Amino acid sequence: MKKHPMLKYLKEEGPLGQRMPLIMCPGCGAGQVLNYTLHAVERVMNEDKIGKENFLFISGVGCSARLTSHYLNFDSAWTIHGRTLAIATGSLLANPAFKIIVFTGDGDTGSIGGNHFIHACRRNIDVTIVCINNGVYGMTGGQVAPTTPVGAITTTTPYGNIEEAFDLCKLAETAGASFVARWTTAHPHQVIKSITKGLRKKGTAFIEILSQCPVHSKSSPVAMLRELKENTIQISKKKESGEGKTLIGEFCDLDKPEWNESYQKLIDQFDHEEGKS
Amino acid sequence: MSKEMKAHNTNKRLHNVHLLKAGEYYLQGSQACIEGAIMAGCRVYGGYPITPASEIMEYASRRLPQVGGRFIQMEDEIASASLLIGASWGGAKALTATSSPGFSLMQEAISIAIMSETPMVIIDVQRPGPGQGYITASQEDVMQARWGHHGEGSIIALAPSSVQEMFDMTIEAFNLSEQWRTPVLVMAEEPVAHMRERLLIPPWNEIEIIERKKPQDLGIMPEDYLPWGHDIVAPMANWGEGYSVNFVGLVHLEDGNITKYSPQMHYDCIERLLRKIEGNVNEIARIETEFLEGCKNLVICYGCVARTALEAVIEARQEGGLDVGYVRLTTLWPFPHEKLRDIVGNVNTIFVPEMNLGMMKHPITEALRDRSEKIVSIPSLGVLHSPEYILSKIYEEIR
Amino acid sequence: MNKLWIDERYCKGCLICVDVCPTKAIKASKEINDWGYILPTEHDMNSCKACGLCELMCPDFAIAIEEVNG
Repeated sequence: MKKHPMLKYLKEEGPLGQRMPLIMCPGCGAGQVLNYTLHAVERVMNEDKIGKENFLFISGVGCSARLTSHYLNFDSAWTIHGRTLAIATGSLLANPAFKIIVFTGDGDTGSIGGNHFIHACRRNIDVTIVCINNGVYGMTGGQVAPTTPVGAITTTTPYGNIEEAFDLCKLAETAGASFVARWTTAHPHQVIKSITKGLRKKGTAFIEILSQCPVHSKSSPVAMLRELKENTIQISKKKESGEGKTLIGEFCDLDKPEWNESYQKLIDQFDHEEGKS
Repeated sequence: MSKEMKAHNTNKRLHNVHLLKAGEYYLQGSQACIEGAIMAGCRVYGGYPITPASEIMEYASRRLPQVGGRFIQMEDEIASASLLIGASWGGAKALTATSSPGFSLMQEAISIAIMSETPMVIIDVQRPGPGQGYITASQEDVMQARWGHHGEGSIIALAPSSVQEMFDMTIEAFNLSEQWRTPVLVMAEEPVAHMRERLLIPPWNEIEIIERKKPQDLGIMPEDYLPWGHDIVAPMANWGEGYSVNFVGLVHLEDGNITKYSPQMHYDCIERLLRKIEGNVNEIARIETEFLEGCKNLVICYGCVARTALEAVIEARQEGGLDVGYVRLTTLWPFPHEKLRDIVGNVNTIFVPEMNLGMMKHPITEALRDRSEKIVSIPSLGVLHSPEYILSKIYEEIR
Repeated sequence: MNKLWIDERYCKGCLICVDVCPTKAIKASKEINDWGYILPTEHDMNSCKACGLCELMCPDFAIAIEEVNG
């Protein structure tokens, strides 16, 4: 039996039993995002000769967060809703050499984690934020999220959503992130390329991936992937057509001072030779 | 661990030219606790300004880069407490200081630290509440320390009464947190944080520093490692050490599996968390006593109230001719029920002076109800009891 | 002719692989398995070029293409 090439990065079982299959619903975009992320990590490990123990996967709460719940054959953590970026900041203070991937969702980033999100971008800490945006609170039953479009019917907007949605990429860019991109689960190669760039970027990389939630949309994964492709337009092609379509692409790619790089200068001004006790 | 990882690892405790050398110093409580923390090996601090704890953070911002550590002012207390968790998982000893409103915000993070058995230290410079309350003296968080986090599981909380203890007990807090793999609270009050007193720092080789148990040191290989197994206090592999360790906040099996749920697995997971601390209370908790021999009445106190209460007890014995004993709880939680019962005989009245309307009075009553006829609270809100005030309440009751 | 491997422990029958295959080498099977899923199965593996798109887009790490020479 030939196994999927990315299974070597997952823990199919632990000392006390089976861990897979993944808990995701059939056709969920989160599993695809994990697949793409592992490709990107593999690329960085092999091409940049960075050891596996340097990588860290942290997630909050929600469907996106279950990716690290106990499946990864890497150092990881499944933490509290919205506070992932504060936890990631903490681990970078403990050891700036970590390469951190944060799996988060639209609610985890844009709602409860909003404050930590804008400050992480402002500080430009060295994390790669992979935001799986399915436009809804999936795990808890399909409630409205800060990224749900106007008019949508959800379990907490039974008469239609009256609030405008966040553009998380614009938020990240304004707050100060170094690298901001948006793709969909229907654009695997672009997602892998952007995550690879994000991992290599010294600073906050925010990659938003529009993703399908077949259960709460009551649609099929295949149909939703087609829709994601049709309803989005790349920045380069926007001039030709693009009314009512969501813009995708790499929005910014800057070189800015990263937090730990700047802080190291403060530490270096003091002489740290080992004294005698 | 790769060379690059090792070079940056701030967990190493440096005998650093910038640590205070042995000698006598005159410092504020806020400064003493930071000196204690960095002496214990703390190299990560994340905080948020709040009166009356901001001085601790300000001093930390100056001292941490000097000793090769990292300081950050976060966007709120929730972020500060979450930062400690990430730093601890990454291998560092981490500290924050806050006051009562911020302490309320940190409860979720404390809860996940208890579940994932993460060492970290939080200093709560208590102020009156509820709400904004006021910015002066208080001991109103002593119950929240034990019961504020949601869910089961226990915690360790210490109560310093002097600048010297802000130094010593912060070191003790880090040692306890590493030894028992738990968050530890230092329940200070505004007077003890703001007072300036003499601080004696012993030679470095006389200060005991405890580090967390590691599976590498016990010969446990990554494929056999159980992040919450092997012993009642599991050895803790950190990120970056090649153990592919996954920290979670959900009920789990010893190997970290979270999908094999059953009521028995749930019970086993949580009961061990409680037993780890409460079952070792005699080793963890400390009590200080004076004048207990044959005393007929007792004052039980903690924190900076213990300073004025001791004065009142001495005065009551010398001037008032009353046979009053003195017990100070240096450890608030886990509450030392057995130890108290071992040292306290039958007495007439027990006085519990607190800067709240009667909180630690409850576990004290639980422990000693059959040993005394009356347990009397001496409350004071917003201001530290003076010795005269405590004495007047004692006289009112028993003279 | 390349061979299709489906891990029945992990596949949830989302059929994204069938949809993205550029040469229609695989198709949905006519059977429903014990979990209630319709799994992908071989259709015309002569046309399979091992492009890897099915493996790339699988959300459950349940598919693998074995390249067989000749």
